[in-house]
Amino acid sequence: MSQPSLTLPTPGQQAGRNRRLLELLGAAAIAATFVYLVLTQPADIAGGLGSVSALVALGGFLLGAALLIAGVLPTLPTSTVVLMPVALVLNIVLGQLMGTSGLPFYFDAIGTVLVAVLAGPAAGAATGALSSIVWSFINPTVLPFAAGAALIGFLAGTAARYGLFRRFYLAPVAGFVTGILAGVVSAPVAAFVFGGTSGAGTGAIVSAFRAMGDTLLAAITKQALISDPMDKAIVFAIAATLVYALPRRTTFQFPFVRRFNVLAGKDPAKRDS
Amino acid sequence: MAAPRLNPLTLLAAAAAVLVITTAASSWAFSLTVAAGAVALSAANGCARRVLLAGTAILAPFWLSLLVMHGLFYPEGRTVLVHWGPARVTAEGLGFALDMGLRTSAFVLVLMLFSFSIRVPDLVAALATLRLPPQFGYVLASTLMLAPIIAARLGKVRQAQEARGLVVGKGIRSRLGAVRLQMIPLVLGLVHDAGTRAQALDARGFGRPGPRTTYRKVNDSHAQRGFRVVALLLAAVAVVLRIAASYLTGGPA
Amino acid sequence: MSGQETARATLQAAIDSFAFHGDSAPALRGVQVEAVPGSLTAVLGGSGSGKSTLGRLLGAWLEGGRDGTLKGTLQLYVGDNTDESRPLVYSGADDDPRIDAAAWADHVGYVPQDAAAMLSAVRGTVEEELAFGLENRGTARADMVRIVAETAHRTGLTGLLERDPATLSGGELRRLALGCAIVADPGILILDEPLASLDDAGARALTGLVKAQLARGTAVVVLSQHADSLTRTASQWIVLKGGAVTAAGRPDRLLAGDSLADAGVVVSGLPGQRSLQAQPRLSPVPAAAPALELDGVSFGYHAGGPGSSLLLDNADLSVRPGEIVAVTGPNGAGKSTLLRLFNGLLRPLRGEVRVDGKAISGVPTGIVAERLGLLFQHPHDQLFERTVQREVSFGLERLFGDGAQARAEAALASVGLDGDGGVHPHELSGSGQRLLALATVLAREPAVLALDEPTVALDAHGLQRLTAAISAAAGRGAAVVLVTHDLAFARAHAHRTVKLSGGVLAGS
Repeated sequence: MSQPSLTLPTPGQQAGRNRRLLELLGAAAIAATFVYLVLTQPADIAGGLGSVSALVALGGFLLGAALLIAGVLPTLPTSTVVLMPVALVLNIVLGQLMGTSGLPFYFDAIGTVLVAVLAGPAAGAATGALSSIVWSFINPTVLPFAAGAALIGFLAGTAARYGLFRRFYLAPVAGFVTGILAGVVSAPVAAFVFGGTSGAGTGAIVSAFRAMGDTLLAAITKQALISDPMDKAIVFAIAATLVYALPRRTTFQFPFVRRFNVLAGKDPAKRDS
Repeated sequence: MAAPRLNPLTLLAAAAAVLVITTAASSWAFSLTVAAGAVALSAANGCARRVLLAGTAILAPFWLSLLVMHGLFYPEGRTVLVHWGPARVTAEGLGFALDMGLRTSAFVLVLMLFSFSIRVPDLVAALATLRLPPQFGYVLASTLMLAPIIAARLGKVRQAQEARGLVVGKGIRSRLGAVRLQMIPLVLGLVHDAGTRAQALDARGFGRPGPRTTYRKVNDSHAQRGFRVVALLLAAVAVVLRIAASYLTGGPA
Repeated sequence: MSGQETARATLQAAIDSFAFHGDSAPALRGVQVEAVPGSLTAVLGGSGSGKSTLGRLLGAWLEGGRDGTLKGTLQLYVGDNTDESRPLVYSGADDDPRIDAAAWADHVGYVPQDAAAMLSAVRGTVEEELAFGLENRGTARADMVRIVAETAHRTGLTGLLERDPATLSGGELRRLALGCAIVADPGILILDEPLASLDDAGARALTGLVKAQLARGTAVVVLSQHADSLTRTASQWIVLKGGAVTAAGRPDRLLAGDSLADAGVVVSGLPGQRSLQAQPRLSPVPAAAPALELDGVSFGYHAGGPGSSLLLDNADLSVRPGEIVAVTGPNGAGKSTLLRLFNGLLRPLRGEVRVDGKAISGVPTGIVAERLGLLFQHPHDQLFERTVQREVSFGLERLFGDGAQARAEAALASVGLDGDGGVHPHELSGSGQRLLALATVLAREPAVLALDEPTVALDAHGLQRLTAAISAAAGRGAAVVLVTHDLAFARAHAHRTVKLSGGVLAGS
């Protein structure tokens, strides 16, 4: 008789702690990489292409993203894991469309924000990082931005956790703030790995700041501060629209939504807490 | 078609090593050689057309953006070639655009060659042997296999709605409205399906801890394993050399 | 794993109540089921009766705590030793047991109605899909190969092992889903609508499979809204309505009573038992101009290519106002294609389509739709609003101005959804969703109504509402064209039947 094995044991503490450590290491790698790049940015990019900076940006950010994925993925319930491919396809399809439109927006995080709102910051961060990695099979230039994408997912989940998706007008505000942080983190990748941005619209804005004499990193950061907050405000608003269109039975399947009362007007039964 | 018989991990290690070494080398001639090599290999592999098409679609706007950005505005440039108002075409700016453009071209072409040379089920099976979380392989495979299904589904939603009398007008408002009406059933349907699939996967043991096996056989050999180790060692050496060189010449550059 | 008999298992479930999170009313109340080795139990009920919810709970696809609040007990006995097993007792509290779905599925296999939902969708061939569950438990490759071959043999999939699951037919797909459930050789099988939308050959193959499982000692529970040839062989019937048991007992006893009709179960196959009596039909207006006309229409998908054949060759069709025409024909004959030609979703290669006397060539589908309403097979694709009320009201104001509200309410009432205006469309039952999609078309009062397989997924109540709505539409002068594989339905409700076969439309 193997009857006792029909139920799940309570999750072990030790395994959870190891996962947590991986997540923290991942976040630390991303933060350290960013600080290093900003502090040591080559004064004159013409001298030597910033090759070390490029290696550090690629290595540090990718390592951080990989650690986050390794730490978070095994802890997620299957209902969240199966949502990720859907989110990734949304990200990729909309991102590819926007990339060819010439507008200075990206729209490549709607799926990430959707997962973050339904399943929390950790799931959001993993979705963002995975999105860049999987998308790179179709468009390799997005691979180095994995850390920024993870940050967007993390911040979206945090915003949902503290109730910013309960009011429809607060979601774009959260998106705006997320955009500022994500833009600043992603700018060094654009500057040191690619020496610029890939879109026509974003390129024009960078050129304008360069014409005023800014360094490349400063110009790209300023461009990011123009594009990203607007972009993320719109993306958060769209994600909110989609989440509110979902039937309750679907949204309440996610413990994160029930536990933190993420969505307004859909008061979850607090009876089980 | 020699490439599909190689283990996908061997190709992945080769691509990663080439990219790291290219970035560390940081020379336009080296980048150009790598890019040309990727195209030549893809020709030998029979996927040159697809690699070039996909690569051009990504790289053309990127090159254009780089040339405008650095070709016209490069405040650090000293050797001015042409001058119009605020725009100055400098030799340094053009050189920088060329360096960056070629390095990115190498990056894109090598990775496109990789993704067109492997079969996704093989890669997923190979990744499973690395003891990566099985969820990673699932998300990768599912995303790449879901795309055509979703495209077909969007087509069905559009037809069903037109048949209900939705007219998509020419104006931007009408189009945005149509996008909303199509997105919602699409996303609702996908999220609903995902919920059911999660229950099916759980019942089929997807959430089980412990080791997995793979039904699909992926070729591997001692030679390939050795090659992978050597490739990653070479990449590491290139990084170390680059960092040492930058400290010898004073400060990171 | 192999051998002629499975490990015998018995499942006893006593569900006092189960409510999904966020729902105020429970989906199930006071339901008891017992699955005994070698016996077939059928749970019958209409759409929305809670059958699928019950099946999913028994198969641990739904779990108390995670998916809703469950009160009651589940008890699984494996083998002959019945003393040691303790029941899983749920009280709706936080410390309720959490089932290990994978371990549970080793003993209780659940196969959903939508067979595709069973598949991992990340495996490129049938054999890899069958092996997915074995991979996850770390079975050695040699054992996997043996078990996959054996399962394929049992489910008749041996010839299809190399195929991509996405290319399988409906019957093959359902056998694959069943194969995925029985690789672990569970002692109990729960099958949700195993015969739905299968053709005769597919239904026979699946029935044979179920019989073979019973002979091996498996306990089988079938959930269905049809009292059909398979469910009639059950030893025990349980009739569900609104989440509660309204009758239980031997099939012959229940067939004599009226609990089945009350629950919306479709009783077929017995003369005189058919719950659908032909409606009194008004005659179409004989002299009126045709509402829909096809004039020498030809169509093919890969026209001009080598070996291209026409799905429709020089077809003529004329439907008068108030006339109901059924189009029948074998699978793949192009019945759905024909409907898409009516409103311009597909355009003919040659010939002309006229709706309400006007040619539709060059007119966008969305405009044609004002005069011709087309109902698709999958209601999910056609619904996009947050509530039933908003769904049916969508776009009506532009057509009818102030009369929009009244028309929306009339349309909802005509399909029996007038009490559900505030519900999310996706939370309606399968029948309800189809009827809502029908209501959105009816509310626009088109001159022509084109329906693609309208009877599929409808329970007996839904069928009655469908036939009433069709008669009412014809009564106010609409032409109705319906495509169906259900010949009896076509004969009972259409003025005439047209057969589409080999590209030719032939009247009868």
